[in-house]
Amino acid sequence: MMRGSVFSTILGYLRDVLWGIRSVWGSCLTAIPYLFGSGELSKEVTEQYPDPISSKIADDLPPRSRGFLVNDIERCTGCKECERQCPVQCICVEAEPATDDTKIWVSVFDIDFSKCVFCGICAEVCQPASLKHTKNFEGAVYELPELVASFGRGWVTPEQRLKWAKLRQQIEDDRVIL
Amino acid sequence: MNAQAMWLNPWISGFSFAESVPQWLLTACGLVLIYCLVIVPSGAVMGYLERKLSADFQARVGPNRAGPAGVLQPVADLLKLLQKQASRDWNWREAIWLLVHTMALYSTVAVIPLGSLLLLVDTDMSAFLPFWSALVLALGTMFLGLSQGSVPGWFGGIRVAAQALAGAFPALIALLCAGIRAGGFRWSEIAAAQSSSPLLWTAAANPFQFIAFFVFVISGLVLLGIPPMDAAFSAPDIHGGVSSHLSGRKLTVFRLGRFYGFLLWSVIAVVLFLGGWELPFGLSTELRNADSPRLLQIFELCWLLSKTFLLVLVVTWIAKVNPRSRVDQVTDFAWRVLSPFSLVALIGASLVAGWGAL
Repeated sequence: MMRGSVFSTILGYLRDVLWGIRSVWGSCLTAIPYLFGSGELSKEVTEQYPDPISSKIADDLPPRSRGFLVNDIERCTGCKECERQCPVQCICVEAEPATDDTKIWVSVFDIDFSKCVFCGICAEVCQPASLKHTKNFEGAVYELPELVASFGRGWVTPEQRLKWAKLRQQIEDDRVIL
Repeated sequence: MNAQAMWLNPWISGFSFAESVPQWLLTACGLVLIYCLVIVPSGAVMGYLERKLSADFQARVGPNRAGPAGVLQPVADLLKLLQKQASRDWNWREAIWLLVHTMALYSTVAVIPLGSLLLLVDTDMSAFLPFWSALVLALGTMFLGLSQGSVPGWFGGIRVAAQALAGAFPALIALLCAGIRAGGFRWSEIAAAQSSSPLLWTAAANPFQFIAFFVFVISGLVLLGIPPMDAAFSAPDIHGGVSSHLSGRKLTVFRLGRFYGFLLWSVIAVVLFLGGWELPFGLSTELRNADSPRLLQIFELCWLLSKTFLLVLVVTWIAKVNPRSRVDQVTDFAWRVLSPFSLVALIGASLVAGWGAL
């Protein structure tokens, strides 16, 4: 049959009308058992959440879809560029000097996913490419604070600082001796 | 008017004042009595049934406090609404609504067919009168919406107008189909063309009349804005639309008018397509021969109203299990589906009638 011909148009129209009638009739039939009190009350009428037909699991998502953020703290330099660029201020970074002046200790790296809009700017501006989007999008929790993801190493303790100072001193001494 | 005398005499001949009181006064009292004794109680019964039915569909209990199984709930609702304080004063536009509504209501009560003896107006065009009254009811509802002075009211009024215009055309054509089979638009002719047996009803006469019956009922829903075609009154998007500012007594009048439109349309549909008031098993003829007009009238009224209630319940059933249609989809449906089908039904019904005449 030719597409767009008069007959196919009329047939499509009649098919639509028939579909509408069947849809209304079907919903009427569904309701009948409930009218006589024999309806299955525990039966799930709604579609189940990981709905087998249409919903996606993480692997089905498009390659550049933006799920929850994850930060590889080993690569993170604590430059705070993500914190500066974030349009909703959901990232909080605290960084301290570590063993020597070239190294940075990222003590706090918190992302509040209750504020995050998943715009992806932070991941874009991340120079060491440590901040990335995962494909995980299921994040229902019972309390808002549970939505804060912490990637930081924790605040530097005085003992740690003392150890680093000693280490640095030792390196300095070695250099002098050499 | 001869029809008046025929209609009223069996009822009032037993009272001595019948001779001295003018006919128009008796007629007016008769209309008020019909309204108060037939239509308002029907509204209460249907309101209760509808609430219980929808409760069953949704696995709820429904009204169960006032009276046994909640049967007094409509009375309780009415009393509550009547004693509520008015939220706003009347404005003159609402007065127009009330005027138009009341006029439409009572003029329709006069032309509504409620039995072979209860036909006040039985002229060549009588089947068209309730149809135009339904349009006037829609007009009054539109005025009410526009008089609210609020966005929900304006939107509701515009939607009422759009739906009334969209539903009127297929409804009119479907009415013509029934008239073609009966050979006229007199109530008595239309009733005489059918009989008590469902096989001889107009809706079962041929497939085209069947289509016409469906088109008539559905376009009535569109015309009067009855669920599931009630986008003009929808609560979620326009906050009740036309009725968004009504409360108390005004809301009572509004709801009664809305139910009245639905009941009127269902009564006409039953009379036109589902055999009307003719009693089963030839009871009508027997009662007529036995010369007991009051008994005949009461039985016919009950039979007609029970058929009407059944039709109303079926529509309610469909409305409760289907979502409310969007207003543009409703008008689209009326123009693009109902109208062509009504025209097909008209052509087919004409052909069948012509075939019979040959």
